Amino acid sequence: MKRDLTRIRNIGISAHIDSGKTTLTERILFYTKRIHAIHEVKGKDGVGATMDSMELEKERGITIASAATYCEWSGHEVNIIDTPGHVDFTIEVERSLRVLDGAVLVLCSVGGVQSQSITVDQQMKRYHVPCIAFINKCDRSGANPSRVIEQLRTKLGHNAVALQMPIGLESDFQGIIDLIAMKALYFDGPHGEDIRSEDIPEQLLAEARQKREELIDQASAFSDELTDTILEEKEITTEMIIAALRKGTLERHMTPVIIGSAYKNKGVQLLLNAVAELLPSPEEVKNTALNLDENEAPVTLSSHPEDPIVALAFKLEDGAYGQLTYIRVYQGTIAKGSTIINIRSGKKIKVGRLVRMHADQMEDIEMIQAGYIGALFGIECASGDTFVSPGLNIAMTSMYVPDPVISLAIEPKDNKAQINMSKALQRFTKEDPTFRCHVDAETNETIIEGMGELHLDVYVERMRREYDAEVMTGNPRVAYRETITQRADFNYIHKKQTGGSGQYGRIAGYIEPTAEGDFIFDNQITGGAIPTQYIPACEKGFRQSLAKGPKLEFPITGIKVAINDGAYHAVDSSDMAFQAAARGAFREAYLRAKPVVHEPIMKVVIESPTEFQGAVMGLLNQRRGMIVGAQDEGHMCVVEAQVPLAEMFGFSTVLRSATQGKAQFTMEFALYRQVPQSIAEKIAEDMAAKKKNAA
Amino acid sequence: MLKKDLILRNPLRQMGYENDDILPEGGFGAVLARAGVGKTALLVQLALNTMLRGKKVLHVSLLDPVNKVDLWYRELFRRLAVQYQIGQIRTLWEDMLPLRFIMTFKVEGFSVPRLQERLNDIMEQGLFSPDMIIIDGLIFDDTSKPVLDALKKMVEKQGLRAWFTVNIHRQVKADADGLPKPLLPADELFDVALLLVTEGNEMHIRDLKTGDIPSPRPVLILDPATMLIKENVAVAS
Repeated sequence: MKRDLTRIRNIGISAHIDSGKTTLTERILFYTKRIHAIHEVKGKDGVGATMDSMELEKERGITIASAATYCEWSGHEVNIIDTPGHVDFTIEVERSLRVLDGAVLVLCSVGGVQSQSITVDQQMKRYHVPCIAFINKCDRSGANPSRVIEQLRTKLGHNAVALQMPIGLESDFQGIIDLIAMKALYFDGPHGEDIRSEDIPEQLLAEARQKREELIDQASAFSDELTDTILEEKEITTEMIIAALRKGTLERHMTPVIIGSAYKNKGVQLLLNAVAELLPSPEEVKNTALNLDENEAPVTLSSHPEDPIVALAFKLEDGAYGQLTYIRVYQGTIAKGSTIINIRSGKKIKVGRLVRMHADQMEDIEMIQAGYIGALFGIECASGDTFVSPGLNIAMTSMYVPDPVISLAIEPKDNKAQINMSKALQRFTKEDPTFRCHVDAETNETIIEGMGELHLDVYVERMRREYDAEVMTGNPRVAYRETITQRADFNYIHKKQTGGSGQYGRIAGYIEPTAEGDFIFDNQITGGAIPTQYIPACEKGFRQSLAKGPKLEFPITGIKVAINDGAYHAVDSSDMAFQAAARGAFREAYLRAKPVVHEPIMKVVIESPTEFQGAVMGLLNQRRGMIVGAQDEGHMCVVEAQVPLAEMFGFSTVLRSATQGKAQFTMEFALYRQVPQSIAEKIAEDMAAKKKNAA
Repeated sequence: MLKKDLILRNPLRQMGYENDDILPEGGFGAVLARAGVGKTALLVQLALNTMLRGKKVLHVSLLDPVNKVDLWYRELFRRLAVQYQIGQIRTLWEDMLPLRFIMTFKVEGFSVPRLQERLNDIMEQGLFSPDMIIIDGLIFDDTSKPVLDALKKMVEKQGLRAWFTVNIHRQVKADADGLPKPLLPADELFDVALLLVTEGNEMHIRDLKTGDIPSPRPVLILDPATMLIKENVAVAS
């Protein structure tokens, strides 16, 4: 394997759905000779594009999960992470963005910058991913790359710099003028593989010169050498321009723009050149991990192959030979036979087979070194796990996993679906730590839990498509919680004498609210009022009571139980008796401690054109939302609010219709907050009705 | 009870102002200091105090994003609660949150008509109707007079009280009235001007416009460790 890190590019192809991203990836693989035939996304040949490895993706012509694939171009090794274009799959997108060093933002020359491009761009900004833009579909009717470049500037705030201009547009799209080399390039051969370089057509020369001027002018802001050369009126070399463009791009101060039509096989090779010349190598990107010994303080990784290993598992796939784990190595080298530790589980793993992936096919390799992406076979792990050399205690992602805030009952349609469903659930819970499932002991229903309505919808859909598991779903349920608001004392005697040995236990103490944790048990017993061996039974009894609150049967959190007195009987006291006493004591005190219901509150961030700001705020207000603030960013504004999850069902549709589809939102769990009295009453009514129905 | 404790302990009262609002309706107040001395911290404390009294504050920042402004409030409120040993701050904080609205603008994108438009947006829908407005990051120079005039009109019309942060440069010398230069173009518009100056290890809050307050003027001290106003009051010579 080559060891020159400067020649590696880990890139993502990120875009709005239908901007031709999968077709573009397919062409890249063809030109880099990784595949030998081209299949279309919605291919008539029934094969589908190579990158869409999931059935669902093949059918819909979209890409959901990121597949990593490897190719080579002009001496550079390029790993392509095909990132999903849908806003809803943010975990997947964000995990990909963590792994890649640069990105190609694909835009449609007809549709331009659309709302989902804005989301993708925001994510890239968050992870400081340098990018180049590829304006695709220049052969389509209505194509207007100049307009898209303008949108890149105005809508996304990029300093977009055109490196090329088209020769003809729409059905007359013939070729591309390279403004750096000042050449007209045409793509010949059945698949555009032969590039013919000619002089720029006379009628376009003046425009090309002017655009080159603009390009050099913008590039000069990043290079003193280039500025001096311009001032001294010396000859400007291609290398000088590229060096300046590269500097601007890596700093994210500039977005070079490439044009073409992947479908018509035009311009893709030039995009690959730009990837090699303008996007960063792993060495040029600062990667940080979290030091678990120091309260997750960030540590910078060295990207040196000789240092201890730090690698991130960013995607899992079920292959014919077991679980395939995609990893990116940030530091050190993982070789066959090396020992690594999974930080989450603490398990030691001996590395067996290492492969490099090309969508569905694979190639065996000896090692994966810092900066590279590869895959491991037969390793038990979950997505997002960090692998390190023994002795290190750092993680690439936070170990904090939020509790789910929404649940949904699912029921398989038949026996076959039952088996497939359990397979699917097993896989999904491994892939995504925020997705959980359990069987409700009372109703015997399978309950899936996650971080939002869409989150669960995606998994239900994947169950149907990938695992052929037809399931029926119930209504989503918000994960309410109960807690108490004041201290209440208890003094409870559990006594039973029904023949044989009886049961006896007395517990006294108090319960009170606490912000320090979900449950705190404080044993203040002195003098052996309750013998030490029964204390764990008391704690267990209280813990059992927390699972279902006496008020509305929601789990209870934020409670401290202190016991300070009690009594026992030499013969009749037992663990069982004290557990029962604890449960009785809890029931006795709970309702006097003024219990309230808490609901999950989501942090909702809406990006909208400024003219809809008032409407957006109105929508949030109608949903019991509390607006934290509004950020004015020129033509766009960002409204941040805290809204109860229960009010957010179907919000995307409402938001779309209120803003002509121009606004979009993200939502994440923020905190639990007390439900207003009127809503609490309604919840109580619903729960009572549900109970009645169940009976 | 908790709120009352905090309100009573409002150290700004000790500067001798008649009421907790400090400013009259339609009035302008300014906090002047060099960069990084604690203008925002002081204004956020003024805002917190206003919120504790159940009044609404619109915080307009031309410098920081919403998150950062929010963090200022959270952090200073937490420190305030620690300083005065107030328990159950979470409930109190959540009661206060709806009394605050943050708006941020880019400096170059800020204009009075734009602010008015945003304000109308929220007021007309009954979402938020401020009693006090804080404008943090407005540039004060020879060209700012028209902006301040327009703001004054807006504030007077809506019966608000407005506070500004004014950044003063190291080399700026105060004029005869004690007012640093950046404020001068709009001096007559301001009812109160508080100057934050470092004296040794302490930061003193001086009132530049005494108004009706009897002398000697009390001086408040801002604790550089917590950015909170200290309770013990020194008397200026």
